[in-house]
Amino acid sequence: MVEQTSGKLFTNLKQHALTAISYLIPVVVSGGFLLAIGSLFGGVTIENIQDPFGFFDTMYTMGGLILGMLPVVIATGIAFSIADKPGIAPGFLVGLVAINMNSGFIGGFVGGYIAGYIAKFLKDKMKVPQWAEGLKPMLLIPFAASLAVGIIMYYVLGTPISILTDALNNYLLGLDTSQKLLFGLIIGILSSVDYGGPINKVVFAFLLSLQSEGINEPMAVLMLASMVTPFGMTMAYFMQKIFGKNIYVRMEVESLKTAFPMGVCMITEGCYPIIFNDLWRCILSTGIGGAIGGAMSMYLGAASPVPHGGLFAMVTMTNPLAWLASLLVGSLATAIVLYVLKKPVALDDIKELTEEDEREIDFEELKIT
Amino acid sequence: MNIVGIAACTAGIAHTYIAREKLVTAAQKAGHSIHIETQGTIGVQDEIPQKLIDQADVAVIAADVKVSGKDRFNHIRIIEIPTEVVIKSPNKFIKKVEELMQKGANA
Repeated sequence: MVEQTSGKLFTNLKQHALTAISYLIPVVVSGGFLLAIGSLFGGVTIENIQDPFGFFDTMYTMGGLILGMLPVVIATGIAFSIADKPGIAPGFLVGLVAINMNSGFIGGFVGGYIAGYIAKFLKDKMKVPQWAEGLKPMLLIPFAASLAVGIIMYYVLGTPISILTDALNNYLLGLDTSQKLLFGLIIGILSSVDYGGPINKVVFAFLLSLQSEGINEPMAVLMLASMVTPFGMTMAYFMQKIFGKNIYVRMEVESLKTAFPMGVCMITEGCYPIIFNDLWRCILSTGIGGAIGGAMSMYLGAASPVPHGGLFAMVTMTNPLAWLASLLVGSLATAIVLYVLKKPVALDDIKELTEEDEREIDFEELKIT
Repeated sequence: MNIVGIAACTAGIAHTYIAREKLVTAAQKAGHSIHIETQGTIGVQDEIPQKLIDQADVAVIAADVKVSGKDRFNHIRIIEIPTEVVIKSPNKFIKKVEELMQKGANA
């Protein structure tokens, strides 16, 4: 292997987090829906299985069980991504330790990396006699890695992380009005300027950690900011009908037909053909829309217990109408800015990206083996 | 060139498939044959047939997350890249792959 630069190391760290998040999303979404629908129909946690319980109690309880396990899912995902199968046992354990110590999602996140790298180190470096080869993946690595990472959590890292988590939560719960507006604005901008790319995903991971502590308002902002792009671009299409300045070529109008329904499900990528034709104007307009919608949603106290699902997630939300209003206002802002900024074009202008428009690729970005 | 590869992104519902489409279009335009398998959140789709793996000259992995089955490409050169880059610059990426393979052949 070539020596790893710090940039490469960061890329690796990010890849492990993203891998874990990719496992996490279906878990959170299903759990969130179970919990939310259960609670909508008056479900409560089943404390004692001997007592009678109703159907919605089972839904509520199942949702709560899953969401309580998020530190385990993230820790196992990260450790698995780093060390493959030997990472699973220590990852699972460190997630449970994080729950046990109330260090929550951040605890699981940090613990997952430590568990994974210890397991990987042992896997790569541990030398055992021939007769013990079979014991290595079965017993030696998972046992040693679990013990080591558990001790690190209990005696070193767990407590500071718990204190940090608590401090962060208390701070966010105590935001005053202007701080809320600012917070919503920032989350809104960060979630809407790279269309589901790396910035959006980093924010997503942070908001998931808040969500696991029951702070659901910021996630509503992210969802809305992700949807401002398809909604705003569609609104801009209707503006061109009304005001007569054509801003989309035929190919772009065509792509809106799939981009909008995808947008309803909180998938931004359908807008790519439009975005890449005019990157900077699009980023500016969606950023402004995300900022306005985000600030408004935070201010009105809309909250979403599930992190994905778009309009369908509305059934689970607190103040869903405030959220919808914020989405529409943000999208309108995007539409207006985009409509004003974009140069007029004829519907049949051919505007396709040629190779010359593409960004240069550096050999540094490629990993070759 | 015979190219095989994998596309996979974080959410596994959109970037994965866009990356695949861009790669396939760009590669075919440059006259290569290509087969890209997707590893979305639904699991593996369009799995690469073993025959194509045997014939392949290079493997391209456009992924933001860990992919499975990388060891299938142990006999050939593997090039890894984030999905974002192939989505934005598919043709230039294919050019780079060509350059790299040239260099490899001369070295």
